[in-house]
Amino acid sequence: MTAAPPIPVTVLTGYLGAGKTTLLNRILSENHGRRYAVIVNEFGAIGIDNDLVVDADEEVFEMNNGCICCTVRGDLIRIIEGLMKRKGGFDAIIIETTGLADPAPVAQTFFVDTDVRARVSLDAIVTVVDARHVLARLEDSHEAEEQIAFADVILLNKIDLVDDRELETVRQRIRTINNQARLHETRNCVIPVEEVLERGAFDLDRILAIEPNFLSEDDHEHDVAITSVSVTSDTPIRPDLFMPWLRRLTAERGQDILRLKGILCFPGEEQRYVVQGVHMLLEGDHQRDWKPGETRTSRMVFIGRNLDAAALRQGFAACAARAN
Amino acid sequence: MMTPAGGGVAGDGNDTLVGRYGRHVAVDAQPTAILWLGDTLLATLGDGTVRQLDGGGDMAAWTAHDGAILSACRHPDGRSIVTGGDDGHVRRVGLDGRVDGLGHFPRRWVEHLVASATSGLIVAGAGREAVVWLAGGTAPAHRYTIGSSIGGLALDGKGKRLAVAHYNGATLHYATNAASGGTALNWVGSHLTCTLSPDGRYLVTALQETGLHAWQLPGMLDMRMPGYAAKTRSFSWDRRAKWLATGGDGRAVLWPFDGKTGPMGKPPLLVAERMGAIVTRVAFHPREDLLAVGYDDGAVTLARPADDRTLDVDGRGAPITALAWNDAGTWLGWGAEDGRIGLLNMRARA
Repeated sequence: MTAAPPIPVTVLTGYLGAGKTTLLNRILSENHGRRYAVIVNEFGAIGIDNDLVVDADEEVFEMNNGCICCTVRGDLIRIIEGLMKRKGGFDAIIIETTGLADPAPVAQTFFVDTDVRARVSLDAIVTVVDARHVLARLEDSHEAEEQIAFADVILLNKIDLVDDRELETVRQRIRTINNQARLHETRNCVIPVEEVLERGAFDLDRILAIEPNFLSEDDHEHDVAITSVSVTSDTPIRPDLFMPWLRRLTAERGQDILRLKGILCFPGEEQRYVVQGVHMLLEGDHQRDWKPGETRTSRMVFIGRNLDAAALRQGFAACAARAN
Repeated sequence: MMTPAGGGVAGDGNDTLVGRYGRHVAVDAQPTAILWLGDTLLATLGDGTVRQLDGGGDMAAWTAHDGAILSACRHPDGRSIVTGGDDGHVRRVGLDGRVDGLGHFPRRWVEHLVASATSGLIVAGAGREAVVWLAGGTAPAHRYTIGSSIGGLALDGKGKRLAVAHYNGATLHYATNAASGGTALNWVGSHLTCTLSPDGRYLVTALQETGLHAWQLPGMLDMRMPGYAAKTRSFSWDRRAKWLATGGDGRAVLWPFDGKTGPMGKPPLLVAERMGAIVTRVAFHPREDLLAVGYDDGAVTLARPADDRTLDVDGRGAPITALAWNDAGTWLGWGAEDGRIGLLNMRARA
């Protein structure tokens, strides 16, 4: 028998009142012919209309050494294992987290547990942001910022409740934290389901579309804690230099690096190498052949606290193969 | 665990014991447990049904749960089984197909069930509660609340000492006693499947980050058994309780539990190695020194621990999820993730 394709998992985050449940019900009520298993936190979940709703208790625990990077959601491991026993009953999984949840343990669960990794794949982290209240939340809540930082897709919701200038400020602020997520502006979470679900493999290609100079380092406000830094190289990257560099970087700076993603061109290789990480956890693999005519640019995006853009750029450049 | 591509059950059949002395039955869902009542096999499935099979092929299917059957064990009466579902129900399913309710825990999953024919107790694990039915009871008698979700349950040979594995350790109760205060066994980590030695002297738990932890009771001496390639999900004591066979590695790992300090300072016996595969299930023969081993590549073998000679029972396919002997040791049954159930007649072989 051939290995079953992994079931895609979408993680839904967002601060209290941003519109997560509205989005969830919109997804579930639409006539898309897909069947979802929905994992909700035990305090929410009122009025979710779906055949398969599972209560999670958000039990975060530390793997072995107690480092932040090894905190995972034990309940998710258990629930996903249980769901796999009724495989065939659903096509995808949606996990709703509480508004106050730090997304890291959820994301890390999909990196750390071997059995979970073999059965499901993290498709995207979707963060719903309340356009009117997000700036205030970012001032007083560490979680609100992390939820934006971890996102692959951001729904900037309730845009009808702010004026154009406010909206632009919010957009800029979100982009400063996370320049690689797909940003959708919505009212009442109205959005086609396919923009949110089953985007595929963390939407890695998205990072190739980022304007590298969207925000120059000088623009950073000093009170901004989380930022994105992208680095590129038109010269192929040497794996023998790159791998140790990345491992050392994440070992030393993993607390500050919330997420990283990269698409790399290795010398003489016909396949793209993709890498992604959460804190200290890294995962890399050959993904697909470079298409004819595709520009073989290597690019990485780092999202985190206190990122030293110059050092990252320098470190990445040093991994580039020198022309003979 | 990865499932290797290629291979397949068809074609392998003739080279294996099941092709000559047994048979395959295909069901539509994943077998979550294989239980024997005499010569009758009952398979609990991920679609909520219980399938009844025997060597001849007569079959029955009964719907016991709305959803997956997550846990199952033999009922102490010996004529029925107990099932726990993701519908929050605990039910008794008789050989005549009768389904009776034993309890309901709304919005929770019943992930663990153990029972003892000796004490008559049934214990279910649902969320953070271990729920106890006393001998002959058709409704829960009492329950113990644990600080975190239950990872595994085990009863000792007398069926009275209950071990509950959870985050950062395990708790022991005298399960016949509603007021039994728990004895806490602390060890950092997430403790999953667990087993008590029949004499109640050892508790062994499987850890989320792989490896085992053991406590020698009552002194609570800690032992660590690291080095496993994957999570251990299956334990089996041999008939003399000298060896504990464990899954979670490329070989069946057998720990010696005879002597004063059990496996402390002793190396395990490693048998039935299968290259590129991980042992998912182990089951000692009830009357002989013979170990049945199921792997994540779908194979099933019989291994003799004394000289590590093995016989192929079943070929490659989806990972083995359940494996069990009947009490007489005349039948072996197993189930694979894709709904392949196998039965081997040991009498025919002899």
